[in-house]
Amino acid sequence: MDFLNPVINGFAVVLEPMNLLYCLIGVVIGMLIGVLPGLGPAATIAILLPLTYNVEPVTAIIMLAGIFYGAQYGGTITSVLLRLPGEASSVVTVFDGYQMAKQGRAGTALGLASIGSFIGGTASIIGLTFLAPIVASFALDFGPAEYTALALLGILLVATISSGSKTKALIAAALGLLLATVGRDIFTGENRFTFGSLELADGIDFVPIAMGIFGLGEIMYNLEERHRAAKAPSAVANVRPSRRDLKQASGAIGRGSVLGFFLGILPGGGATIASMASYAMEKKRAKQPERFGKGAPEGVAGPETANNAAATSSFIPLLTLGIPANATMALMFGALLIQGVTPGPQLVEQDPGLFWGVVNSMYIGNILLLIMSLPLVGIFVKILRVRAAILAPITALITLLGAYTINNSMFDVTLVVVFGIVGYLMKKFGFEPGPLVLAFVLGSLLESSLRRALLVFGGDPLGFFGRPISATLLIVFVLVAALPGIRSALAKRKAIVPAGTAATEIKEKV
Amino acid sequence: MMHFPTRRAVLGAASAITLLAMTACGNVSGGTADSSKYPNGPVTLTVGQAPGGSTDLIARAVSEGAAKTLGAPMPVVNKPGANGALASKEVAGKPADGQNLLLLTASLITITPLAVTADEAVNIDDFDIISGLSQDDYVLVASEKSGFKSIKDVTSAGRNITYGTTGVGTGSQLAQTVLFKQANVKGTDVPFDSGKPALTAVLGNQVELATIQLGEAMPQIEAGKVSPLLVFSEERNSFLPDTPTAKESGYDVPVAQYRAVAAPKGTPKEVKDKLVAAIQETLKSDSYKEFNKKNMLTPKEISGEEVVTQWKDYAAKYKALVEKYDISLAGNK
Repeated sequence: MDFLNPVINGFAVVLEPMNLLYCLIGVVIGMLIGVLPGLGPAATIAILLPLTYNVEPVTAIIMLAGIFYGAQYGGTITSVLLRLPGEASSVVTVFDGYQMAKQGRAGTALGLASIGSFIGGTASIIGLTFLAPIVASFALDFGPAEYTALALLGILLVATISSGSKTKALIAAALGLLLATVGRDIFTGENRFTFGSLELADGIDFVPIAMGIFGLGEIMYNLEERHRAAKAPSAVANVRPSRRDLKQASGAIGRGSVLGFFLGILPGGGATIASMASYAMEKKRAKQPERFGKGAPEGVAGPETANNAAATSSFIPLLTLGIPANATMALMFGALLIQGVTPGPQLVEQDPGLFWGVVNSMYIGNILLLIMSLPLVGIFVKILRVRAAILAPITALITLLGAYTINNSMFDVTLVVVFGIVGYLMKKFGFEPGPLVLAFVLGSLLESSLRRALLVFGGDPLGFFGRPISATLLIVFVLVAALPGIRSALAKRKAIVPAGTAATEIKEKV
Repeated sequence: MMHFPTRRAVLGAASAITLLAMTACGNVSGGTADSSKYPNGPVTLTVGQAPGGSTDLIARAVSEGAAKTLGAPMPVVNKPGANGALASKEVAGKPADGQNLLLLTASLITITPLAVTADEAVNIDDFDIISGLSQDDYVLVASEKSGFKSIKDVTSAGRNITYGTTGVGTGSQLAQTVLFKQANVKGTDVPFDSGKPALTAVLGNQVELATIQLGEAMPQIEAGKVSPLLVFSEERNSFLPDTPTAKESGYDVPVAQYRAVAAPKGTPKEVKDKLVAAIQETLKSDSYKEFNKKNMLTPKEISGEEVVTQWKDYAAKYKALVEKYDISLAGNK
C-alpha cells in the first residue's frame, strides 16, 4: 500500500490549523459568491489571486479550490428560495427547486441538494485519488511532443464545447492566441508586439488579463444589469429530507455523480454542462417525465450532484496534466504559477504534499459545506439585499489594489483596467471570455512545445507520430475534429428513419 | 525627523517659510549634505526575479542580516520582468541616496547583452556596486538514456546531440553553445523557460544534456538520475569535488552566475561605507554561511570595484568567444 502513504500524508497537511482555516474561509467565500448572482467563482478567484501571494502554495490553492466548489453549493440556495440562480450551474435547479419551495418543501430541496453535492463531490475526489497516480506514472514521458498534442486537443475542445455562439468563441480564442504571442520570443530573444516596452518583454502576465476580464469586466457588466429585486424568501423548514424523498432521489444522485465526474474531466466541460446534462438525463429516465418542472426531487438532486462532481473532477486535467479544463481552472493554473508551482504530470511526484493536501482538503471542505450550508441560508439571503452600487466599488477597489501587489507595478494596474474594458465589451456583445483566457494559457504552451518538439525531432513533423502518447493524443484530436462532420452525416441518414429523429432531438436538448 | 535641525534647515526656515518643506525634503532624501544620518527610513532591496528563485532567496538572506546592522528595515521587493532588466532600469533611475538597492545578477551584464538589442541591455556603469556576494555554478548533466558518463563520451559520440538550456541569453546557453563549438560536436540547442523544466526534460530523456545551476541539479545527481559531466567554474566546485571543470577538460568557457548588491550611480561615499560594513557583517554571520552551504553557493565576497572589473572582463571574454565561434545566442531563427 505504498501508494497510499502520500495520500495519508496529505491529510496531515490539510489538518494543519492554518490550512483548515483557509479551507473554511474558502468555502464560506465560495458559498457567499455562489449566492450573489453575477459574481461567479472565476471572478472571485481572479480578484483574490493576489491575496494568496503571501501564504504557502498549498494553503492558497486549498482556499481557492474551496471558493470554486463552495460556489456550487451557494448557487443552489437562491435558485431554490428566490428563483434566482446564483451560478450558471444552478440554472436548471430553478425548475424544480423553486416549485418545491412553493409547495413548502424548500428544506427538502436544499437538503437533497446538499447531500447530493456532498456525495457527488466526494465521489469525484475518490476518482481523482486513484486516477492521479496512474497519470503521474507516465509523467516523465511527457515531453514537448506530448504537450503540443495536449494543448492542441485542449484548444479544440474548448472551441467546440463552449456554450454560446461558435463563431464568437473562435474569435475570442483567436484574440487569446494573439495575446499569447506578445513578449520576447523565448527561442530567439526577438521582441514581438512589445512596442519597445520593457514591461511587455516577458509577455502579458496571465493574472492581469484574468483579473481584468473576469473581475473588473464582470463588475462593470453587473452594474449595468438590473437585477430582479429579491423577494421575501420562502420559509425554510424541515431540512432533513424524508426517507421517501431520499429513496426517490438516490438514483439521480448516483447517476449525477458519474455523469458529473466524466463531464468535468473533459476540457471545455464543467459544472454548468454537467448540471444541464444531468437534468436532461433524469427527465428522460423518469417514468412520469411530466412531474419535472413541478417539483420533482430528482430534478434538484441530479443536477446539484452533477455540478459538484464536475467542479471537483475538473481539477484532474489541471493537476495531473497541467491542462485547465475551463476558465476557473485556468485561474487556478495562474494561481499555482504565481506560487512557483507548475501544474503538470510531475506535480504528484515533485510536490506530493501540495497535491494531496489540495485533493484531501476537498473532503474536508465538502464536509464543512454540508454542515454549514443549511444554518447559513438565512444570512446569505440577507446579503442578497446589499445593493450592487455598494458592492461594486468595493470589489473594484480590491481588484485594483490586488493587481498592484503582484509585481508592485502600476503597469499591471493599467493592464487590468484595459482588460476590464475588453471584458465588459465582450460580455455586452455576447462573447464568452472563457475561450480567450483558455486560448491565452494554452497558446503559449502550444507554441513553445511545438517549437521545442520540432527542435528535438530535427524539424521532422512525423516525429509526433513516433511517440506513443503524442500519437494517441493526435488521433483523439483528429477524431474530435471530425466528430461534428460524422455526426451530421449520421443525422442525415437517421432522418430517413423516423425513430432516429426523436433520439437526436433529445440529444440536442442536452 | 527634525529633532536636530541643521544650520541649513534653520536658515531655510528663516529665509522663507514656504521653502521649509522643500529644504526638509532635501535633507531627507537628497542625502548629499546629510548622509551621516543614513539610513533614513527603510532601505528597499529590489530583485528583478520572481520570489522563490535563488536570486530572491539570496536577497532575503542578505536583507535579513543587513537590516539588523543598519538599524533600518530592508524590505525585499520583487519586480520580475525582462530577465531583471526592468528592475535594474528602475533602480538606476532612483535617487542615489542608498535608500534603494538592487540585487544584480552578472548574467544580465555579461551575457544578456549578447542576445538582446543595445537599448535593452543593462550597463554596469549605471550602478555603484556595493559588494559581491556569491558564485552559483553551472553543471552539465546527462540523461540516463544517453549513456554519457563523461565529456569524452559526448565528444566521441559522433552524432547530433540535443541539449536543454535555461533560456535565451542565459549562462546555460552560452556555456553549452561555446563548449560544443570548442569540442567540435554538433548539437541542437533546446531552450526551456528555466532550470526546472530543463532538468525535467533530461530526467524524462526528452533531451540528452542540459546545463543547470548546481543547487537545482544536486538532488537528481545524488539520486543518480542524471550524471554530472563537468562544471563550468574556473575551479572545481566544493560541493561536487569529483566532477572536472571545463578548463581541466580542455575547454576555455568559464561561466557561472555571480550576484552583487548595487546602488544607483553617485551614491555618497559615507553611505556606501555603511552599506559595505553592514553587508560584510551579514556575510560573516553563521546563519548566512549556513544559507550559502544549503543552497550550494560558493562565497565570492569581493569588493564592488573587483566586481566591476571581473564582470567587465567576463563580458569582454564572452563577446570575443561568440564572435570567434560565430555564435548567435538568438540562434534557431
